[in-house]
Amino acid sequence: MPAEGGVELLQGLGIFALAAFLMAFVVLLIGKLIRPRTLSPAKTDAYECGEVPIGPGWVQFNLRFYVVALVFLIFDVEIALFYPWAVLYGGGLGAESAADLYALRRAALFDMLFFFGVIVVGFVYLWRFGYLDWVRVLTAREEPTDAAATGGVDLRGRSGVPQ
Amino acid sequence: MGWLRNRFEENFAITTIDWALNWARSNSVWPLTFGLACCAIEMMAAGASRFDLDRFGAGAFRATPRQADLMIVAGTVTFKMAARIRRLYEQMPEPKYVLAMGACTVGGGPYYKYGYHVVKGVDLIVPVDVYVPGCPPRPEALLEGLMRLQEKIRKETIAKKAEPA
Repeated sequence: MPAEGGVELLQGLGIFALAAFLMAFVVLLIGKLIRPRTLSPAKTDAYECGEVPIGPGWVQFNLRFYVVALVFLIFDVEIALFYPWAVLYGGGLGAESAADLYALRRAALFDMLFFFGVIVVGFVYLWRFGYLDWVRVLTAREEPTDAAATGGVDLRGRSGVPQ
Repeated sequence: MGWLRNRFEENFAITTIDWALNWARSNSVWPLTFGLACCAIEMMAAGASRFDLDRFGAGAFRATPRQADLMIVAGTVTFKMAARIRRLYEQMPEPKYVLAMGACTVGGGPYYKYGYHVVKGVDLIVPVDVYVPGCPPRPEALLEGLMRLQEKIRKETIAKKAEPA
């Protein structure tokens, strides 16, 4: 009977949801009942190794750090996957015959080339659009409209100017 | 303070909660990563495998006062450091404990007479729970101090104090 099965499913889901809610709620409630709560300006302040913090913690960070993190990620993922890949498949993974070994290594090579291609697309993008330069300059993309667009002021060579 | 604290007389439920709370707290006294002078070397030895502070649940040295329960003041407290120690203590969440490790923190130690730059005892800055003398104290002494602190924690109660008759 499909209808009865549906009711059972709903019941199960309901019990599951209730249990999930209670587990979280009861734990939070117990903590609320027993924990001391004494807030002071020093406690809510930013932690700087015991020093009085200089300036607020909510400041704007330069967006360039975000790109640096992305560049790091590309190389990080590459090295993290290339190394075990090279060690494991270079060893042959217990392939018995020479033909097996050849097939295995070929498959591993093309798999990794595909993965590398995906990563390289991101890398080429960063390279092409100048994200590898810490201070980005406009000299790479010289266009005659630049001077007109900025009212005759030449912005070339100045940092922080968007391309 | 917590809602349960100082609200009920001592009864079976409260003492049971006390027991559970103190069991949890006394067996997970996480110290603040914080060494001031040579005593810190002995503290590190106590944390390492030979003496193994972690046997008592106190081996997780936290890198921020937000997560720490115990401040082991290990080493000479200079006047310049005193304000920082006070601030670190204030940034620790309750319940928090202080263990004064070594002669310098207990009362100035060798700097008592001529140390123009040394605070004569860290209890002038923060309330101290356990004093561990020695110059420096051996790791066993620090373990003893920790066990004394655990004894102290196990005696805590959230029950209302009995009214004076």
